[in-house]
Amino acid sequence: MFSYYLRLAWLSLKQTPVISALMVLAMAIGIGAAGTSLTVHYTMSHNPMAHKNDQLYAVQLKAHHDDYDGGTSDELDLQLTYPDADNINRMSTPQRSTAMIRAGFSIKPDDPQLHPFMATGRATGRDFFGMFEVPFLYGAPWSTAVDTLAEPVTVISRALNDKLFGGENSVGQTIEASNHLYTVVGVIDDFHPQPLFYDLNNGAFHEPEEMFVPFSLLPVNKIEAFGNRNGWKSENLQSYDDWLRSEMYWVQYWVELETPAQKADFEQELAGYIKQQRQLGRMPSDTAFASLKNVQQWLDYNGVVSEDNRILLALSFLFLLVCMVNMIGLLLAKFLRRAAHTGVRRALGASQRQIFAQHLVEVSLIGVLGGGLGSVFALVGLAGLRQLYPYYDQLARMDITMLITVLLLSLLAAIIAGLLPAWRVGRTHPAHYLKSQ
Amino acid sequence: MLTMDNIGKVFRTDLIETHALRGFNLNVQQGEFVAVTGPSGSGKTTFLNIAGLLENATSGKYYLDGEEISMLTDRERSLLRNEKIGFIFQGYNLLPDLNLFDNVDVPLRYRGFKAAERKRRIEEALEQVGLSARMKHLPSQLSGGQQQRVAIARALAGSPRFLLADEPTGNLDSLMARQVMELLETINQNGTTIIMVTHDAEQAARAARNIHIVDGQVCDLALLNQPRPSQISPIRSAAEA
Repeated sequence: MFSYYLRLAWLSLKQTPVISALMVLAMAIGIGAAGTSLTVHYTMSHNPMAHKNDQLYAVQLKAHHDDYDGGTSDELDLQLTYPDADNINRMSTPQRSTAMIRAGFSIKPDDPQLHPFMATGRATGRDFFGMFEVPFLYGAPWSTAVDTLAEPVTVISRALNDKLFGGENSVGQTIEASNHLYTVVGVIDDFHPQPLFYDLNNGAFHEPEEMFVPFSLLPVNKIEAFGNRNGWKSENLQSYDDWLRSEMYWVQYWVELETPAQKADFEQELAGYIKQQRQLGRMPSDTAFASLKNVQQWLDYNGVVSEDNRILLALSFLFLLVCMVNMIGLLLAKFLRRAAHTGVRRALGASQRQIFAQHLVEVSLIGVLGGGLGSVFALVGLAGLRQLYPYYDQLARMDITMLITVLLLSLLAAIIAGLLPAWRVGRTHPAHYLKSQ
Repeated sequence: MLTMDNIGKVFRTDLIETHALRGFNLNVQQGEFVAVTGPSGSGKTTFLNIAGLLENATSGKYYLDGEEISMLTDRERSLLRNEKIGFIFQGYNLLPDLNLFDNVDVPLRYRGFKAAERKRRIEEALEQVGLSARMKHLPSQLSGGQQQRVAIARALAGSPRFLLADEPTGNLDSLMARQVMELLETINQNGTTIIMVTHDAEQAARAARNIHIVDGQVCDLALLNQPRPSQISPIRSAAEA
């Protein structure tokens, strides 16, 4: 009967084009608004490493004096000091771990046609690529030895490779960056985790870096951090080495722990480390402690999904509700206006349930049409957001999952809106209308 | 096969209570052609609605083919209505958006027939009323008499045992009305029981049996319960013989 009901639904829409168009439009506007904010919320709340959520952990320490307010709810510092990162790097428990900072490099191309330019960069460890499943187009991550020997090698992004080497395999080529030569050992393929969970200090939504160099090069090439730096202690920092020795927080640290047992062992190792450091006169607080947060906890902790976004989402769904109420009114008017036809169908043997189903199929069709048009509205809305706010460039993009979600949302909203009118028309007393036709 | 035993029907509003039928008794046998007459507001249409399972009686018992219908669910009543009862209305009640083929198709859809079976029945029914050449026309493209013939085809397509007609010629001129009556008589001669509500005494006289309703009651019970031998249709007589 579904195909029969669908045909009747289409006929019904054609018979009342204005009221049908109004209903489709009402649904489309509601879905357009809800779809736009839902897409932004979906991107914001997305966990790009959900499949490894309980294996990847951000490492935090409370290393500051009790008088210092780090601004976090649990008194932990968002980043580590270089000495702590360097020391944790030497711990044995994690199978994979990496310290890292966001950096920037002034690139001087070999091609005289190209002007020097700035490239975003990251000083990190070899494990970064394995832990975060970075795909490679050419070459591979640098060797484990590089992480200790501090060789000037680099892994570059596909975009930078296209720019400097015309997309050719550039492994073995050199790049002059911030007055140092780096040998390319790998070119990564498309890698766009959103949010950029591994470093939320510089905003959660932007492109990953173009150039990755070994973290071990920090003391050698004196690579500056391009991110937030905080400190609790008054220190006279004159040189780069002063920075490396300081109590400033500027290094992110991630570990991969495959089992709860490994996690427990590592937490114990961190506790031992804190105890040792306090004996050495660092970490003045009696309540100094360490914490590991998995990816989702890290995203929540850093408030990637803002309260504004949640409010906007709620408001857009409220607006969708208003559109649905509007649609209920239009549906009631439409269905009850043709109650006489329903009466005929009832007289000819249609049960209440069949009349209900027939009308639900009709509202479903309106929902699908409204969803299709609403998706277009949402795409236009997202394009508008991208135009207005550069910050939304990565956020305001609808993928196939969201497109299907928006269509299903529209279908669901239409069915909910159609329940009452379909039930009402199904309950009409056939005898009341047969004489009046 | 259609028995109403002490049927009552009361319509209630906040202010008044209207007894449309009271103590209504009737027995209709297979193959009868019964005309129901009576003044306006006497309860003719209410009787027809109850007989056609479109309304419930307030009191009394109604048996259709021996089955007491007051306890049936909506689905069971709808199924019974679809299988056993065909309706013809004064205003034809064709669905204006559907062509003749699709109008006749409506009850067959609810019966759940396969497409080939539906097509065969629709074509046969439209052939029977002489409209097979116009099955793709919309009702608005037909005259009143033709529309009523489509309504008859629709009622017949499901092979019902009962045909309930409410003023079937009320909107037609005399020529059209005669054609429709002749069609109904042919249908009745083929074995279908017809109960026809009419204001027209001439048409009522063409039926084998007359029931007169006044104030919600059958006027002369003595006339009702036993059909006269001459009222039994030739087909039924032949079958009984």
